[in-house]
Amino acid sequence: MKHFRFILAGIFIVALCLASNPAWSATVLGDIENAVMCKCDDKCGKVLINCNCDTSEKTRTEILKQLESGLTKEQIIQTFVDKYGETVLSAPTKEGFNLMAWVTPFAMILGGGLGIRKLLQVWIKPKGEATAEKPASESSEISKEDSLGGYSNRLKNELDRLES
Amino acid sequence: MNDLGEFALQLAFATTLYGCVCYIMAARGNRIDLYLSADKTPLLVWGFVMVASICLWKAFLTNDFSVEYVWAYSNTQQNFFYKFASFWGGQKGSLLFWTLILTSYMAVVHYQNRTRNLMLVPYAMTVMLVMTLFFLGLLNFSTNPFERIPLPPEDGRGLNPLLQNYWMVIHPPTLYFGYVGFTVPFAFAIAALITKNLDDGWIRLTRKWALISWFFLAMGNLFGAQWAYVELGWGGYWAWDPVENAAFMPLIVATAYLHSVMIQEKKDMMKVWNMSLILLTFVMTIFGTFITRSGLIQSVHTFDEATLGFIFLGFLVVIVAFCVFLIVKRLPLLKGKNELDSFLSRESSFLFNNLVLLGIGFATFWGTVFPILSEAVRGVKITVGPPFYNQVNVPIGLALLALIGIGPIIAWRRATFSNLRKSFLKPLTVMLVAGVALFPMVPLSSKSEIYTYITFMLCAFVVTTIVIEFYKGSKARMSLHGGTFIQELGSLVWRNKRRYGGYTVHLGVVLIFAGIAGSSSYSVETQKHIQKGETIEIADFELLYNGLGVTEQSNIKTRVIATLDVLKNGKKIWVSHPEKEFYKEQNQPVSEVSLLSTWKEDLYVILADFNPDDESATFKIHVNPMVSWLWYGQWIMAFGTIICMWPDRQEQRRRLERMKKQQAIFVAAQE
Repeated sequence: MKHFRFILAGIFIVALCLASNPAWSATVLGDIENAVMCKCDDKCGKVLINCNCDTSEKTRTEILKQLESGLTKEQIIQTFVDKYGETVLSAPTKEGFNLMAWVTPFAMILGGGLGIRKLLQVWIKPKGEATAEKPASESSEISKEDSLGGYSNRLKNELDRLES
Repeated sequence: MNDLGEFALQLAFATTLYGCVCYIMAARGNRIDLYLSADKTPLLVWGFVMVASICLWKAFLTNDFSVEYVWAYSNTQQNFFYKFASFWGGQKGSLLFWTLILTSYMAVVHYQNRTRNLMLVPYAMTVMLVMTLFFLGLLNFSTNPFERIPLPPEDGRGLNPLLQNYWMVIHPPTLYFGYVGFTVPFAFAIAALITKNLDDGWIRLTRKWALISWFFLAMGNLFGAQWAYVELGWGGYWAWDPVENAAFMPLIVATAYLHSVMIQEKKDMMKVWNMSLILLTFVMTIFGTFITRSGLIQSVHTFDEATLGFIFLGFLVVIVAFCVFLIVKRLPLLKGKNELDSFLSRESSFLFNNLVLLGIGFATFWGTVFPILSEAVRGVKITVGPPFYNQVNVPIGLALLALIGIGPIIAWRRATFSNLRKSFLKPLTVMLVAGVALFPMVPLSSKSEIYTYITFMLCAFVVTTIVIEFYKGSKARMSLHGGTFIQELGSLVWRNKRRYGGYTVHLGVVLIFAGIAGSSSYSVETQKHIQKGETIEIADFELLYNGLGVTEQSNIKTRVIATLDVLKNGKKIWVSHPEKEFYKEQNQPVSEVSLLSTWKEDLYVILADFNPDDESATFKIHVNPMVSWLWYGQWIMAFGTIICMWPDRQEQRRRLERMKKQQAIFVAAQE
């Protein structure tokens, strides 16, 4: 409980780090196909790598030509952005306003986690109070579980409670 | 017949309006005469909507192209099943289909509650009638499915070729059954808020409705994935398309709800939370229809004539405002006991389970609406596609998978560290052994592969916890009752359907996780242009191309079919027939995938292009490992849900007791 905030912050940072680099396929062509959308007339709304239409085939040929001409992955993607605008990218860039797209979900989870922690602090009764309120049969429940037949008792108790 | 259909819709609208007014006046003025009158309307409305639906189906089956909708989505060449399914192929018919399901559910709810729950039912029926009124309003005044063409053409345009797949008959209805089903718990939740009956009564009343709706929504999502896999021809099954997201979000929120209601039932806690979750689930189902019909977002799923965006948005705003108002108004009454014994308890693990589920739901929602937000703020429309969702949702999904395993081994109320150590020892050991065993076998060169490795380890952990639960429970019963292991296992599940059905669902989810992880990291693909007699090698397979065949299937459809012998270790194991279908008046041909599916991997062959002169062809071939695990997982989930939903004698007995109490109160009140 004491380090809960740090653990949550750690999880948040790790999750952001894990999300920071895309897990794209090994080939450069695959990387580019994954990074841009198909811009066919039918407005299929698919990532290029997932599209089989005529336009996607032409686009692939175009990318291969650009790769053969010595352009790098970033340069090829930039040519697409120059031609079609930012909408051609399959995911928001990680800068400026778009950074909000990436950070917000994790920030919400972090905030939610802190909220739950706060709620639990309020909801959990102080130890003495809890023990005092608990009937004798219930307070002995946990210690019983450690014994050989503990599981049977726990199961029976839980099933009884479920069925009641 | 078309006039009759149109008239039936008008009658349905008028009856629904009458029903709404009568139910409200009966409830507010305590008028039993009005109540008895209103009580007939759900069945009448259902009857009228059914008549209208039969009329539209008849128009489809008899090729009545004087109806504009039939002309737009059918033709004389379509077979019976596609004519039948064309009913929901476009916006107008899909709205009528939604209304048909809604009124059918309403009729069932009315029948179930004809002599009980008299406090809640009038308000719940009013809510359902208001929803029906909205859809009937659209059908009567905005998107009339019986709109006529003055000079009927001889033939129709036909259903979109991409939709001409047997999944068209299965996937949309399944999804709609799920979407619409959540209207019932929503209606009872609103009724509980209005009447201040805020104990867990409304939850118990609608538990099965929520489960059934969840079941259909889950199945609908997975059927959609199967359809995309076999029809769209890109080798995958989920593209994080906005409309896929729209079906996924209510499923996720409903999953959170199904878990958190257990805490309210057991501990009388989290009333506001559960109320909010069920309202949010319903709002998400309407949000899904808004996305599909708004024209705001490009998707393979959106309707051609997506013109109802603002109407749905307005409806959505009204629902949200009304729900928020009611919850705020009833906040003092929604305060539960709100006491927990320990941080280390199953209750708190459920809270984190809810957090993670809603985290996934929020990330999906955020990604879906972010392009609209970006356009509004920066004036720049951007795309949020699969790379975003994969990078954001995968780490959160892993946390969820871990929680699926952790939840069952933490005791309710309070767990001790020694108890936890004991419970975690075996699952963690199995997880580590799995990790060590897999380490030399799986590649770990990319982040995706590392994720997959972690997923497999977590799957081992979760499966172990579930197996231990079944094993220990059966053993405990054996020591108490002395039966055989199988007998006691059956008895254990039978006596506690909800608990062990839930674990079975979790097993299915684990298989789905494993299938997603394996197929997204280890699939290989190749694309090659080859001549007749040449081969393509991929993974352990060798594909020998034997040539093309052309079949004129009908006046409007021509199929070009390639034949490839598939060899494994030099032995012929299968003949693959990928094809391209050309439809008259359609710009793009449709690829029909040829698929060899085993538990280990799928060989997925697409005819990408061909040259009819020399019969050379381009093939795109994928070897996708573990995809079938998703479909196995789906059926295990279905099995688990059926166990949960199976009628329980003890539950029935308790319900009868509650009914007797209610009747006693009702009779006393009447006297």
